[in-house]
Amino acid sequence: MLRRLPYRVQIPLGLSLAVLLAAVLVTAITARVQAQNARRDTLSLLDRAVVLVIAQVRPMLAADDTWRVFSLLRDTAQLIPGADADQARLAILSPDGAVFAASDPVKLETGRQVLGAPWREQPLLSSLEIEQRELHLILDGSVVLIDPIRSEDGQTLGFVFTEVESAAFAPDWASLARTALIGIVLAVTVLGPLGWWVGKRMARPVGRLVEVIERIGRDDTGVLQGDVPKTTDPELSRIGDAVAQLMGELERRKAAEERALSAERLAAVGKMTAAVAHEINNPLAGMLTATQTLRLHGGTESIRLRTLDLLDRGLQQIRTTVAALLPQARIEDRPLEPGDLEDIVTLVRGTAEKRRAEIRIQVDVESALRVPSAPLRQVMLNLLLNALKAAGEQGSVCARLQADESRVRFCINNSGPVLSEDKFKSTLAAESGKDPRGFGLWVCQELASHLRGRFELDTSETSQTCLLFEVPNREAPEGLT
Amino acid sequence: MSVNRRRYLAAGLCGAAAAAVSLPSWGADRLRIGLTPVILADQVAFLSRWGRYLGSRVGVDVEFVARESYQSILDLLFSGQIDAAWICGYPFVRFESELSLLAVPLYQGQPFYQAYLIRPKTPVAEIQGWADLKGRVLAYSDPLSNSGWLVAQAQLGKAGVPVRDLKRGFFTHGHRNVAEAVAARLAQAGSIDGYVWETMRAQGMPAIAKTEVIWKSEPFGFPPLVVRKGHEHPQMEALRQALLHMGDDKVGRDLLASLNLTGFTLGQASLFDSIRRQARQVPGSGVGG
Repeated sequence: MLRRLPYRVQIPLGLSLAVLLAAVLVTAITARVQAQNARRDTLSLLDRAVVLVIAQVRPMLAADDTWRVFSLLRDTAQLIPGADADQARLAILSPDGAVFAASDPVKLETGRQVLGAPWREQPLLSSLEIEQRELHLILDGSVVLIDPIRSEDGQTLGFVFTEVESAAFAPDWASLARTALIGIVLAVTVLGPLGWWVGKRMARPVGRLVEVIERIGRDDTGVLQGDVPKTTDPELSRIGDAVAQLMGELERRKAAEERALSAERLAAVGKMTAAVAHEINNPLAGMLTATQTLRLHGGTESIRLRTLDLLDRGLQQIRTTVAALLPQARIEDRPLEPGDLEDIVTLVRGTAEKRRAEIRIQVDVESALRVPSAPLRQVMLNLLLNALKAAGEQGSVCARLQADESRVRFCINNSGPVLSEDKFKSTLAAESGKDPRGFGLWVCQELASHLRGRFELDTSETSQTCLLFEVPNREAPEGLT
Repeated sequence: MSVNRRRYLAAGLCGAAAAAVSLPSWGADRLRIGLTPVILADQVAFLSRWGRYLGSRVGVDVEFVARESYQSILDLLFSGQIDAAWICGYPFVRFESELSLLAVPLYQGQPFYQAYLIRPKTPVAEIQGWADLKGRVLAYSDPLSNSGWLVAQAQLGKAGVPVRDLKRGFFTHGHRNVAEAVAARLAQAGSIDGYVWETMRAQGMPAIAKTEVIWKSEPFGFPPLVVRKGHEHPQMEALRQALLHMGDDKVGRDLLASLNLTGFTLGQASLFDSIRRQARQVPGSGVGG
């Protein structure tokens, strides 16, 4: 319950409760001390009363004056706590141990034999056995004292029998409760509000700190730092300094974030530019080879037309790539055709010859191709160039285009070092941003994602690296051209 | 009875444990009257008023001298330190040769009173009469009291209970204390002046509510005011007349009402014949045949 309250209420309330608890504890301890003192005081009073009785009773015993002894005991018993409640009594015993007179003749009737007989189920010594004070502690806490009365020449004149029941030693709980109640009422009426007021004062800087913390991010840091409470309390001062430091750190972090955001934007622009340049650069190499071919063999009609078609498709691919960067542009893309693979191979033939690499292709198209040609050509071009690079000098690359009613698959193997799954993933991750030098595989993965397909390393092939690009055999989703 | 009566009388003669309303003084210009526990006369203001009343009629100052024991007052009287004394009928008959009557109080219009045997008022009464006192504790008033000692001795004798068969007997130095001792159950029975017990009851004293009367004696002559024969104060006759006529005026009647009396009479020695006869039956009473 207390924990659910605000800290600003917890402190004064806790302080008030502490005051109240302290009052109760002090009262309880005082009651305990008073109870112990009461027993000690009662026993001390008994000693004095016995001395008084012995001094007064000697001539009365000499005169055999029962009435005066009774009067003396009756008056003296009034001094003993508990006598008025019939919890304490005095008696003078004759030399033989019988009651001569008692303050309470009902309990200690005149003539009753006391010494040598059981008293409250506890045997008492006989009159002849008592030489000095006999103290009997009864099991229930009662006390019985037997003091001999002697003449000046040592003759035993009788005994003072004193009994105080345990109830007489019990603390006066009613009186103690009244005192405790007064203490608690005072604590509640005076110390409680005082504790609340002091607690409120103590909690005020905390409340102001909370307000300042709540305003962090909304208000100006300079203003907030001015509102941090100045206090002489070392703990609160440390908290205030920490809050001020926190605000400074937040300010610096915010500036750093803004700088990082700006740099990130620049990096994104650079990355996009590099990707576009990469996608445009890939067909350019093939088209330059085509122009060389046209220059050398352009006289032959078939070669010239074929080369011009190649140049036209390469330029269309570049146009499609550039158009993809312009949201407002919408270029109609034709479906992929089985000849596109040969077309792409022709574009990379120059590169392969430089590396003296061998390219083998295989086309297994069982159904009409409905996938757009531009992204698939881009994928095949990227993967072929990547495979030639991975195959190395005099390596071999095998490209296989497969299609059926539901899917279109492009697999490409190379004879280079086998690419592990981890290496493949790290390459993709590097190309995604950290390493702006290569984008081929990353672009393939992005295109597979856009076409609801997959691009992965075929781990079933263990002798060579085999990359698999597979998309559903259907038209491109809206927005992708 | 464990009390050695003679030793007690000797102690009384020594005059120990005496308390005085005023110190005795000598001279014919004042009259001194000794009081014993035959009346509840321990109220200083009342005695002062009564003294002023009597003094205004006698013509000399009248003072009261109170002692707890009858013997002390007799000692003062016989030594001439007081001029008159209010004593019991028993010491009057015992020292009759040396004393003469000054006046006899009238209680309920008669110069008689009774002795009572009282017991604590308990649900189960153990004592029904004198015969039940064997092995019990009995409270007396004074060794020279008729109702507070002599009657008890006579009745115990009649009941066949020797005094030595009592568990204990003790003197309380006054009839009022007999009632207190029985009420506190210090004693299981008490021999008390019936006039004192009735007066205490009339005044609503708490001790009376805790006691009850189980036996009343035949009428005895009321405790008289006496003077020493041959040593009468010159104003003694005036004092006698003042006492006899207290009922004639309102102040005197109020004083009598406070004493629970109706007046005073001259009285005759024969009033105390019953006490005299009883004393003769009690061994050691000091009254011969």
